[in-house]
Amino acid sequence: MSGRIKEFTKGFFSENPTFIVVLGLCPTLSVSTQVSNGLGMGLAATFVLFFSNIIISSMRKIIPDSIHIPAYIVIISTLVTLIQMFLQAYMPSLNEALGVYLPLIVVNCIILGRAEAFAKYRGVADSALDGLGMGLGLTMNLVFISLIREVIGNGTITLFPTKNWNGVINIPLFGTYPVRVLAASAGALLLMGYLMPLFKDLVAKMEAKK
Amino acid sequence: MTKNARYTLILFSICAVCALILAIANSIFSPIIATHQQEANNAAMKPLSSGYTIGEALAVEGNANVTMEYPLTEKGKVVGYILAITGKGYGGAFDLLASYKSNGALIAAQMMKDNETPGLGKKSEEDWYMKKFIGTGTKDKPVPTAKSQLSSADSDAISGASVTFGGVSKALAAGAAYVVAKGGSK
Repeated sequence: MSGRIKEFTKGFFSENPTFIVVLGLCPTLSVSTQVSNGLGMGLAATFVLFFSNIIISSMRKIIPDSIHIPAYIVIISTLVTLIQMFLQAYMPSLNEALGVYLPLIVVNCIILGRAEAFAKYRGVADSALDGLGMGLGLTMNLVFISLIREVIGNGTITLFPTKNWNGVINIPLFGTYPVRVLAASAGALLLMGYLMPLFKDLVAKMEAKK
Repeated sequence: MTKNARYTLILFSICAVCALILAIANSIFSPIIATHQQEANNAAMKPLSSGYTIGEALAVEGNANVTMEYPLTEKGKVVGYILAITGKGYGGAFDLLASYKSNGALIAAQMMKDNETPGLGKKSEEDWYMKKFIGTGTKDKPVPTAKSQLSSADSDAISGASVTFGGVSKALAAGAAYVVAKGGSK
């Protein structure tokens, strides 16, 4: 049982897709301008990771090695198209904000990486937990990076609007004096440069305690 | 069965199942997406309707500028049109929406998509830009297509973006001509 729990939790810390394995950085850097975008992108990728891992794992004995990449791409692109249709229908503003990065989940290194490195060899339950853990780990990273960039770079926290609320929380100090570089692309790289060693140090300390 | 034939069959089967799933999903989501897009279009057109009811969209063919028309009705009677118009500015093609009374007089207009120069032609996206054209388009009061036809204040406001002004005014004049040609001018 503890092995199963480990399959789920490794995506958050020891094999964190962004800070430890360093995969899928393009969407991470580009959509992390607002918390709502980070959360939306993370959940969309989690949906795709979870189901692609389950499908690929359950078909691992049917799909021959020679054609596994095209087969995986077809399965993953179907899942991405489904989530894109769902967002177009129910959350069009998020769909617009994620732009080209939503269809590009198809070729996201994390999803193909987990299919290749894990789901291809392991059972359905383990693959499902791996996909869910990695997806939620990615969502955690995206929300964390977005939160820092949006609060300091723009002085706001943008969530999802409701009928009576526009979804934006204004932060007093940074609203008046925002550090604009963090909201720009260069700021995302700068922030990643600080967060990566900090995160690695934190994980190393956690591992040492065990 | 040869190895290649087996691989082909497996890939084909995966593709067929995926296509079936997507077809089912499309049949569920596409009406919702279409309704949502219609609502978004209506929201964009509402400020242009001047309180009249916006009718069903009709594609326009054979006109160089007008691509779509939406009748404006009051108590079931057509009193004007909202037109989707394309034109050519300094940065290439642009799209705008404009509403007209049946006699061709412009009610309101809004630039929707353009590639004009920021700070110059891009001003055409702002509310005040189109105000100089409101009420023009009839036989007695044509759309101003030259800077000399504008007041000095309006002429100064478009300074540095004459090509955009020429493109917008020609597009709006083409829209007015289209409405008049429909037989509404009295």
